[in-house]
Amino acid sequence: MAQRLKPVDVVTIGVGLTGSLAALELAETGLKVVGLERGAPRYTVPDFQSPAIHDELRFSIRKAMMQDNVKVAASFRNNSDQTALPIRRWESFLPGQGLGGSFVHWNGQSFRFQVADFIYRTHILERYGQKFLDACGPELTIQDWGVTYDEIEPHYDRFEYLCGVSGKAGNIKGQIQPGGNPFEAPRSRE
Amino acid sequence: MANVSRRTMIKTIGAGMLTAGLPLVIAKTDEHAAAIAAATPPVGATTPPITYVFFSTEEAAFIEAAVSRLIPADEQWPGALEAAVPNYIDEQLAGAWGRGERLYRSGPWQQGTPSQGYQLRFTPAELFHTALAAINKELAKAGTPFATMSPDQQDAYLRSLEAGDKDLDGVPSVVFFGELWEFTVEGFFSDPVHGGNRDMVAWRMIGFPGAYASYYDLVDRHGITIDRPPMSLAEDAHGHVHMNPGIRAHSP
Repeated sequence: MAQRLKPVDVVTIGVGLTGSLAALELAETGLKVVGLERGAPRYTVPDFQSPAIHDELRFSIRKAMMQDNVKVAASFRNNSDQTALPIRRWESFLPGQGLGGSFVHWNGQSFRFQVADFIYRTHILERYGQKFLDACGPELTIQDWGVTYDEIEPHYDRFEYLCGVSGKAGNIKGQIQPGGNPFEAPRSRE
Repeated sequence: MANVSRRTMIKTIGAGMLTAGLPLVIAKTDEHAAAIAAATPPVGATTPPITYVFFSTEEAAFIEAAVSRLIPADEQWPGALEAAVPNYIDEQLAGAWGRGERLYRSGPWQQGTPSQGYQLRFTPAELFHTALAAINKELAKAGTPFATMSPDQQDAYLRSLEAGDKDLDGVPSVVFFGELWEFTVEGFFSDPVHGGNRDMVAWRMIGFPGAYASYYDLVDRHGITIDRPPMSLAEDAHGHVHMNPGIRAHSP
């Protein structure tokens, strides 16, 4: 018989990168949060403990942290002329599962978008003019995001400091920094 | 020399496979190789016989001879046979991976494009039994079992499998060759806990330090050579490696 649990304020579907950060933020405001995740609960110790975690055959080659193909199947085709067939073993994309989700095994690179990425329609319009946009016809669905880089910047900053993202800033408050990428969008600090 | 160029290729493959994703610069020098080699059992040293649990005697004879050609021993380093690669393959096929662990095995069944990946009904264990039976039957009929061929003949036969124009009772030979090659590389270079890479010879050869628990104390030290002898993830305080080929390819 189904067990009826006490209601909570928020339930996150998934406790990966997004779900865990959202749950943390919401819980800190005093809300009661439950996170649902498929797969095992996993913790730094003992699940990601050295030296067992250095088993390259198990993790890199056989993809032990990814969803089990026996239980989860996706089909794949390159174009609509082909018949989609099951992906019997993960090759090109690697969906994870378990507590922490893909945040456990991501590549650890955290790039910011460019200023223009947030306002792409405006950017193209200013750069090439209305005639260029018109010439592309109705298939061109490009839009601005409705949020700008400047609005997002404090959140980038917070996330990078939370995760301990390393590297050399190339642009601090508009000042190009030696040794950094001069093309990146301005950061509020190193 | 065919063997020398193949050896160079194997070393390159191994270095690429094992260092990908590791924050390590491994400076490889001849002195280093010599130092590590000194701690390595000489080629031709007696290797304990393998007790097969998956392969029949005839199948094992093919596998041993084939991996000896794929990664042959040379004057300095043991090859796949001496590194117990057949033991690794045997254990893998006898275990969960051989039975189709992490392999989706329901329909629809249809031949796909190369980019759609493996679409055969065989588990790895079924694939090996089927292909090896077809190979051994063909060669026995011709009176030339694989293990009795000269090295050149063996190479030519393996190339004919790799070319893919043989049907091994439903297994395209190119698929079988690909699986055999993959298993051989895995057994040679993966941690000896899985049953291959005996005495960590492959890691000594390419200068890979293995599964050290932590590099934390080295984070701020740049340009140093990592030249200590390799270490297995299943090594105890006395340096014994405890084999455990039953490790499942599952999430913790």
